[in-house]
Amino acid sequence: MALINLAAREINYKIVYYGCGLCGKTTNIQYIHRRVNPGARGRLVSIATEEERTLYFDFLPLSLGTVKGLRTRFHLYTVPGQSFYNASRKLVLQGVDGVVFVADSQISRLDENVDSYLNLWDNLMEQDEDPSHLGIVLQMNKRDLGSIFSVTDLTELLNHTGSPVIEACALTGVGVFETLKTVCKQVIAKSART
Amino acid sequence: MARRKGLVINDEQMQMIDGVLTKLQRVAGSAFVALISTSGQPITTAPADVDADTLSLAALAAGSFAATRQLAEVLNEREFSLLFHEGQESNLHVMQVTEQILLLITFGRDTQVGRVRLYTTRAVEVLKPLFEDAEDSDEGGARTIDTDYSREAGAAIDDWFPGESDK
Ligand SMILES: Nc1nc2c(ncn2[C@@H]2O[C@H](COP(=O)(O)OP(=O)(O)O)[C@@H](O)[C@H]2O)c(=O)[nH]1
Ligand SMILES: [Mg+2]
Repeated sequence: MALINLAAREINYKIVYYGCGLCGKTTNIQYIHRRVNPGARGRLVSIATEEERTLYFDFLPLSLGTVKGLRTRFHLYTVPGQSFYNASRKLVLQGVDGVVFVADSQISRLDENVDSYLNLWDNLMEQDEDPSHLGIVLQMNKRDLGSIFSVTDLTELLNHTGSPVIEACALTGVGVFETLKTVCKQVIAKSART
Repeated sequence: MARRKGLVINDEQMQMIDGVLTKLQRVAGSAFVALISTSGQPITTAPADVDADTLSLAALAAGSFAATRQLAEVLNEREFSLLFHEGQESNLHVMQVTEQILLLITFGRDTQVGRVRLYTTRAVEVLKPLFEDAEDSDEGGARTIDTDYSREAGAAIDDWFPGESDK
C-alpha cells in the first residue's frame, strides 16, 4: 500500500528486509545509514534487545528527492528473525510494497533460510495481498564466508518468483546499495499504472 | 490490473482533514496532532512542518499501537481502539480512525485528559468518512503514478548515492 498524498505532493513506499535470525538484515540497514548523508535519510530507529538482537523492527526513512513534483520516500524496515517473533513480523509487513529476502548463504543455515522463506509467503498470503504487486529481491548474504551454497542452489530453494538475485557481504557493504536500488526500482515499476 | 488497496489523499480531502486537525489541536490544548497510516507513514500534522523525527514518531506509534492491539486480542479484549502513554512532561494518545488510519495527539501534563478524549473522539467521527472516501477511490493515485513517473523515478534511483553501488 503505497501512501500517496496528492495534497502534500508526497509518496511513501514501504520496504521490508526479511530473513532468518542473524542473516544480516540489520547489518544492511546500518550500512546504508552509515553511508548516506544525513540530508537524504532520517534517524535510524531500532527496537532491539540488550544483545542488539532485533526485538520488533529497525526503521530507516530514505528520501529519493522530488520526482515529477512528488516527494518520494522509501521507508526501510527489518523484522526480527527468530521464529517465535512471528506476530511482530506480521505487524511490520502491514502495507508492504517491497521485500528484500536476505538469505544467509552458509550451508549450516539451510533450515533457517527455508523456514523463514516459507513463513514470509504464509504471512504475505494471510495479508490478503496479491504478491505479484510486490517488489521482491533475493539477497544472498555472507558470500565472504567459507562453507556456503552456490548461487544456483540458493536460487532454486528461495526464489520461486524468479526475482532478481544479488550477492552480498553486508558487513563490508558489497551488494548492499545494489540490493536497495533494485528493490526500489521494482516497487516503483509495480506501483505505476500499466 | 487489479490494484492492491492503497491510500490516496487529494487536495480537497486534505483541506478538510487539516481543518479538523488544526481545530482539534486548539480546542484540546494540544502541542502536536498527526494523522498516520497503520503501516507507519505520516499523512499530515498540525502544526504543519514535518521534520525527520515525525517519520520516526509515525513508525514507532504505529508499531506500538499494532502491538498493543495484538496484546488486547491475546487477552480477548475486542474493543481496543486507544493507546495512551503518560510521560513526565507530556502525554500521548493514539486512536484508531479507520482500518488504515491512526490519530496521534500529544498534550501537556496540565491539560485534562477528559477534555482531550472528548474532542479527539469527535474529531475521529468527522475524519472517518473522509478517509473512507480516500480508501475507496484509488483513481487519482493511479493517474499520478504513471509510466512517466516510473521512468523518472527509475533514473533518479540510478543516480542515487553515486559511488556506493559499484562496491
Ligand atoms: N561474515 C559476515 N558476517 C555478516 C555479514 N552480514 C552480517 N554479518 C554478521 O552476522 C551477524 C548478524 O547480523 P544482523 O544484521 O544482526 O542479523 P539480523 O538478525 O538479520 O538482523 C552480525 O554479527 C553481523 O556482523 C556478512 O556479509 N558476512
Ligand atoms: Mg536484526
